[in-house]
Amino acid sequence: MSVFVAVDNIEKVFSLSSGGEYVALKGIDLKIKKGEFVSLIGHSGCGKSTLLNMIAGLDLPTEGIVTLEGKKVTEPGPDRMVIFQNYSLLPWLTVRQNIALAVEEVMGGLPKAEHKNIIEEHIDLVGLRHATDKYPGQLSGGMKQRVAIARALAIRPKLLLLDEPFGALDALTRGNLQEQLMRICDRYQITSVMVTHDVDEAVLLSDRIVMLTNGPGSNIGGIIDVDLPRPRQRMEVVNHPSYYSLRSEIIYFLNQQKRIKKLRAKKVAIVARHGLEKVNLEIGFVPLTACAPLVVAKEKGFFVKHGLDEVNLVRETSWRGIVDGIVGGYLDGAQMPAGMPTWLTAGGDRETPVPTVTALTMTRNGNGITLAKKFYAKGVQTVTDLKRMLLESDSKNHTFGMVHPSSMHNLLLRYWLGAGGLDPDRDVRLETIPPAQMVADLKAGTIDGYCVGEPWNFRAAMEGIGFTIATDLEIWQGHPGKVLGVREDWANAYPNTHIALVKALLEACRYCADEANHQEIRELLASRQYLSTEVAYIHLGDPNTYTCNLETPMREYAHHRFFGDGMNRPSRTEHLWMMTQMARWGHIPFPRNWVEILERVCRVSVFSTAARELGFSDIKYRREPIKLFDEITFDAEEPVGYLNSLAIKRNFTMAEIHLDAPRVLAA
Amino acid sequence: MTVSTKVRPTRSNSRNSVVNFWQKHKDNILPPLFGIAGFLILWEIFSLFPGVRLPGPSSLWTDERTRTLLLYPFYDRGGLDKGLFWQTMASLGRVAQGYSLAALVGISMGILVGTKPLVNKALDPIFQFLRMVAPLAWVPIALVALQQNQPAAIFVIFITAIWPILINTAEGVRQIPQDYINVQRVLKLSKQKFFFKILLPSALPYIFTGLRIGIGLAWLAIIAAEIVMSGIVGIGFFIWDAYQQNYVSEIILAVIYIGAVGLILDRAIAYLQKLILPGE
Repeated sequence: MSVFVAVDNIEKVFSLSSGGEYVALKGIDLKIKKGEFVSLIGHSGCGKSTLLNMIAGLDLPTEGIVTLEGKKVTEPGPDRMVIFQNYSLLPWLTVRQNIALAVEEVMGGLPKAEHKNIIEEHIDLVGLRHATDKYPGQLSGGMKQRVAIARALAIRPKLLLLDEPFGALDALTRGNLQEQLMRICDRYQITSVMVTHDVDEAVLLSDRIVMLTNGPGSNIGGIIDVDLPRPRQRMEVVNHPSYYSLRSEIIYFLNQQKRIKKLRAKKVAIVARHGLEKVNLEIGFVPLTACAPLVVAKEKGFFVKHGLDEVNLVRETSWRGIVDGIVGGYLDGAQMPAGMPTWLTAGGDRETPVPTVTALTMTRNGNGITLAKKFYAKGVQTVTDLKRMLLESDSKNHTFGMVHPSSMHNLLLRYWLGAGGLDPDRDVRLETIPPAQMVADLKAGTIDGYCVGEPWNFRAAMEGIGFTIATDLEIWQGHPGKVLGVREDWANAYPNTHIALVKALLEACRYCADEANHQEIRELLASRQYLSTEVAYIHLGDPNTYTCNLETPMREYAHHRFFGDGMNRPSRTEHLWMMTQMARWGHIPFPRNWVEILERVCRVSVFSTAARELGFSDIKYRREPIKLFDEITFDAEEPVGYLNSLAIKRNFTMAEIHLDAPRVLAA
Repeated sequence: MTVSTKVRPTRSNSRNSVVNFWQKHKDNILPPLFGIAGFLILWEIFSLFPGVRLPGPSSLWTDERTRTLLLYPFYDRGGLDKGLFWQTMASLGRVAQGYSLAALVGISMGILVGTKPLVNKALDPIFQFLRMVAPLAWVPIALVALQQNQPAAIFVIFITAIWPILINTAEGVRQIPQDYINVQRVLKLSKQKFFFKILLPSALPYIFTGLRIGIGLAWLAIIAAEIVMSGIVGIGFFIWDAYQQNYVSEIILAVIYIGAVGLILDRAIAYLQKLILPGE
C-alpha cells in the first residue's frame, strides 16, 4: 500500500526562556500506511506528544515536513482529528452538543437532518445513549473519553491521532475502551497514530510500535511490527506466543533508555593513571556462575593490582544489553558469549559490522540442556528419544529457550538437535530469553526446555521442574564459554589498559580454578550485586547429588574450567567453528574474508603479552581438531566444505564483510 | 413481585414542619442572633457612659426624627426631603448606570486585551496606573470635566468598577485552557462559534469574579461621591446632611441601609452567577 502519512526528517527545536535551545526531536522519519495503527512509545519528555502534535499540525517542525496524502501539513485541521488525554470536552455543552459542535462545523455542507443522523449514530457507537443530555462534569473519565472518541469519529477524519487517550483511566475502563476503539478502527479502517507509555496497550492496539529514544534530540530507536492476528481480544492476545517477546522487547528498550539517561548524567572523563590510558572502566556482565573471573578480579583486588583502580562491573540482565552497551560505547568491555565477538564483527547486530576483539577466553564448559520434567516422565533421555516423542506429538508447538544467537548455548543446542535429526527452526522453535528468566518460563510452561549456563540448569533440577538431559560432556567437552570482548577501536586506543585488563582477569581465572577458593567464590557470586541467588545453586566444580537424583544414571557434570593449558588463549579454530555454526543457522553470512575476520577478532598477541608479563608463559595451547559428540571432526582448513556437508542447515550465504581499516578511538 | 409501599402521611402538619425546620437549622440561626444581640447590648452600654456622644442603637427608636425615617421610608415631601427608600433608590440608580457602563466597557475591553497581546502591551501600563487612583480622587476631575453632579457621579462609579471587571475578564480570556484552543484549531471553528462556544463560557467565571468585586466597589464609590456632591438626592448626601445638622442617629440608620444594600447587591450577583454557571 502507498504511503499515507509521511514524516520526513523532522527536527524540532524549542527555544528556552533562558535563551538556550532544546532539540526535542531530531531526524525522525516515519511512513504510515493507510489503515495502519501506529503507536509511539517512549519515556516522558521524549517528544512523542510533540511528534503527534506536528502530525496534527498543532505544532510545526523546525526542520523537515509532514505530509498527509502527499500534501504538506501546515496547520491543524479536522482531517487529522486529535483525541487528547484530558478529553478536551467543553464542560458547558452536553454530550450531544459537544459532538454537534464538531459535526456542524466540519460537515457544514450537509443538511441538518444528516447532521442529526451522524450525531445520533456516533452516540450509539460508543454506547452513550443514556447520557446524551448530560454535561461532561456529570460523566466518569471513561465516558468522557468515549464522548471524545465519538466526537472525533463523527467528523470522519482521515487520520485519528490519540494522545495517551486512556492514560487517566482505571484499568478496567481502559481495557473496555481499548477493545471498543479497536473494533471501531477495524470496522472503519481508520488510520491511527497513538501516543502511549503503556506497553500492553501498544502491543494490543498497534500494527507497528515506534519506540523513541530519550531526549534531547530524540529519534526513532526501533520499530516493532506486531504480528498478532486481528481481530484481537484483550484476554486472548496474551496467550499468543509472540506477545511476551514483543512486550519484553519494548520493556527492554525502555529500560535501556532509562539506563542511557543515567549514564549520560554521570558521564565521566577518561582517567589515565599508572601508565595506563584509562583506569575507569565499565565492564558488563550477565549474572551467571561463569562471571566468576570478573567478580573475583573485582572483589579480590586483581583489577587494582594491575592498576585498574576504578573498574565498575555493570550487571546486564540479558546479552542484548551487553551488545547495546558495546555497540553504544558505554561499556568499555564485557563478558561475552564466545561467539559474540565474531558475530558482532560479521554484522550480526542489525547487519552493521562492529569490529570486536577478544584476547581472553575466561571460562569453558558450564552449560547444559534442560528439558521440562514432563519429558522425563515420558522417558526422554537422549535427543533420539526427544525426536521420537516430538514426532509422535506433532500437535503442539515446542519452544526452547536460548540466551543469544551468538552464544554457545544457542549453537550447542542447535548442534545437539541437528545431530539428533531435529531441525531447530522447523521442528521446534527457539526463542531468545534472558538467562535468569529461563527457570520461571519453564515453570510456567511457556517453554519446553532450554540451553543456558549455570546456575540455571541446577536450579531447575533442584526445584524439580526440569532435568538436565545433556551437559558439556555429551556435546563438546571443554568448549569455550565466555570470553572477554572489547571493541576493536577501544583496544587500539587503550592497548596498555587492554593488556592490564587481560592480566587481571587471567589471574582471577587462575584464582577461580583453585578448588580451595571455591567456597569463597560461591559466596561472592551469590551476593546481591551479582547473582543474587542461594549459594546452593552455584557450583564451580562437581554438583551435589541433587541433579543426579533422577533414577537414570545421570552423567557426570562437567566443571566450569577457568584456567590451564589451552584454556584461556583465544583460539582461531574455535572461533571459526562458531562462525560456521552461526552461518549454518543464518545468524550471519559466512564471510568470504573469514581469515581476515578471525585474525582481527582473536587478539592472541595481547593474551601472549599478558601471560608473559604474569609469568604464565609456560601455559601451553592445544592444537587439536574440534570433535563433538557426534564424532564429526571439524576441519579448520575447509569451513565451507564442512558447512556444505551438514544435512540440517539454513541456506547460508557467503558475503564479503567490509571492515574499515582498524580505527583508533578519538580519545 | 409485591412491594409493600407505606402510605406516607401527606397531611404534613404545618406546626410540625416549623418545629422540624427549627430543629434542623437552629445551629445556624442561633449563633448569629446571639452575636448581633451581644454587639447591640455592648454598644448600648457603651453609649451610656458619660462623655460619649455616640448614641446607642436604641436611639433609632427613641429619637423622633429617626423614628419617622425608620417607619416611613417611602415619604416624599419634594426636593431633598425624601424617605430613605427613595434616597437609596437614587443612589442605586446611579450605580446601575455607572456599573452597567463599567461592565459593558470592562468586558469588551477585557476580551480585546485578553485576545490581543499587542493591545495588552500597549494598554496595560495605563490600566495598572489608573486602577490605583482612589475613587474620591476622581470626583474633582469628574466635576470639572462633566460640570454636573449626576454624570460626574456616574463617571466615578464607572471608573471605580471597571478595573476589576476588565482585568479579570482579560485574565479569564488568557486562561482559556490550551485544550479548548486546540479543539478550536483542530475543528477550525469559526470566529463567531469560538467566541460564543468557547471563549465566553470559558472566561465567564473570571468575568463574574470581576463583576462581584466591581459591584462592591461601585457601591463604596457612590457613597463617597455623593458625600462630596452637595444638593442631590442620595443616601451619601443624606449622611453628609445629617452630619452637618448633628442628627447622629440618622447617620446610624443610613449606615444600616448602606450595609444592607451592599450585601444584597453582592448576593444578587452571586445568585446571577449561580444561575448562569451552575456547578461553578
